[in-house]
Amino acid sequence: MPSPDLLALAVTLKMAAVTTVILILIGTPLAWFLAKMTSRFKVIIEAIVALPLVLPPTVLGFYLLIAFSPQHLPGQIWQQATGQQLAFSFSAIVIGSVLYSLPFVVQPLQKAFEQLGDSLLEAGAMLGAGPIDRFFTIVLPLTKASFITAASLGFAHTVGEFGVILMIGGNIPGETRVLSIALFDHVEAFDYAKAHVLAISLLIGSMILLASVYILNLPRRRTSK
Amino acid sequence: MTILSLDFSLNYKTFTFTINQELDLTGITGVFGHSGSGKSTLLRAIAGLEKNITGSIIFNEKTLTNTTKNTCQKPEHRNISLVFQDSRLFEHLTVRDNLKYAAKRCVNSQLSLTDILILTELDMLADANVFDLSSGQKQRVALARAILTEPKLLLLDEPLSALDQASKAKLLCLIVKVQQLLNLPILYVSHSLDELQQVCDNLLILSQGEVINYGNIHHTIHQLNFLSAHLPNERLTHQQTSLSLPIASADNGQGLTVLTLAEQNILLPSLAGKFIKNQHLRCFILASDISICLSEPQNSTIVNHLSGNIVAIESSMLGVPTQSVLVTVICSGHEFFVHISTFSQRKLALYTDQPVYLQFKAGAVRTYLY
Repeated sequence: MPSPDLLALAVTLKMAAVTTVILILIGTPLAWFLAKMTSRFKVIIEAIVALPLVLPPTVLGFYLLIAFSPQHLPGQIWQQATGQQLAFSFSAIVIGSVLYSLPFVVQPLQKAFEQLGDSLLEAGAMLGAGPIDRFFTIVLPLTKASFITAASLGFAHTVGEFGVILMIGGNIPGETRVLSIALFDHVEAFDYAKAHVLAISLLIGSMILLASVYILNLPRRRTSK
Repeated sequence: MTILSLDFSLNYKTFTFTINQELDLTGITGVFGHSGSGKSTLLRAIAGLEKNITGSIIFNEKTLTNTTKNTCQKPEHRNISLVFQDSRLFEHLTVRDNLKYAAKRCVNSQLSLTDILILTELDMLADANVFDLSSGQKQRVALARAILTEPKLLLLDEPLSALDQASKAKLLCLIVKVQQLLNLPILYVSHSLDELQQVCDNLLILSQGEVINYGNIHHTIHQLNFLSAHLPNERLTHQQTSLSLPIASADNGQGLTVLTLAEQNILLPSLAGKFIKNQHLRCFILASDISICLSEPQNSTIVNHLSGNIVAIESSMLGVPTQSVLVTVICSGHEFFVHISTFSQRKLALYTDQPVYLQFKAGAVRTYLY
């Protein structure tokens, strides 16, 4: 594999890793909030979180591109805080990926928290454990598999992203040029041999990751009662 | 003395619970009522798990909840532990780690985990996974875990309901032992009066979200005989005589245990288990299992004959024409309740203050534990 493609691989992995960490940090409290929420506004928040599942990525990318431009408030704030332009930067594609992959992390976590219910948390409280203590000693160990599933799906989905990145990241080698964009470039240039290498690598990589997630979920299905 | 002052109400769409009662929690206090009477709601409110209550809960002069002052102590800070009907053990931990979970969070821990494992007979199972345990073993772990938080008050919510008869008796004995060893006040919720009769010192009776009686266990059960008459739609239990009598002899050589009732004796089939002389035995006799004779019965296979005086004769169902009456007889200072037909009452021409003999078979004297 020639070095521009290796560079694209590095950018892709870095983007997916950073995105996954942020997604877990944001997605966990959001999923917890949704799982415990009883208000009728719950469905509205759920719909917003699920929106990237159905929305064409170019729509999300288009609005983000506008928001990130120095003419608009989010872009301006970013530029003032960091001194750099947000659009067409690595940070931009990470923010875009976080929004785009959010449902893949929030939904499995929310489902796990709902299934766990309140009964064991009440038992924890009766043993003197506070809310944070209960989260780390009861919720986290019992929903570990869902966390791994959520992180893997978030990671895999981010690796496979194309539309959003094309809109807000452009195609800057070493910064925003990820594998899916590199693949697109090879096809545009009729370099099918290189395109094949990237396509088959992405296919096999994604397949291995998903298979691992399903294997990981097997023992949990057996022991949960 | 351990005092729990309850003055609160709780509203759900189809259910309202109201209580204004001070409980002396010395020993074991039973909470009895049908499903939907508010028993579990009461325990959950005391534990701090019910969010929507209005009023106050004060335990030993410490305010747990007072909605007018906007105070509500968090459940984890109340120093009260609750054993749930469904155990609620942590399946990702072993038996020992479940117990450690409680011990680690106990401030000023005094009890040794090993001692509690032995007390609850879990020492052989300490390293077992909790999902491999039977229901009875699970409840013992739940009880041990609750004890290790070293609570000021232990709440038990139907702890025996999922168990078979043998496990029930075993766990009941353990609960009594724990109460005595640790001198721990216990509030014990059950829909089985037989269970409560065996272990409780006091009894609180709930019906449709309200307190209908509270007091000494035997006295309250006897009051229930009349309450059943007043509330024909609320028949809570079988009318019965509840007793706690010293054992004169665990086995009289004829396969019978002898209990002392002042100068008289009550015989029952010999019990399995070791008893010391004068140890008190809890037992009950259903009102329908006792009959009345005007003269001392001779030549009868029925072994128990007690002499006494009738103190009251009441229709067994007030306001409803019935074919039966509930007769209260005092024998050696103890109240006995006898359920007979109005036909028999007329035949013997029974009246109050009349001296009579009660007779019942040894097998009619029931205990739940042994």
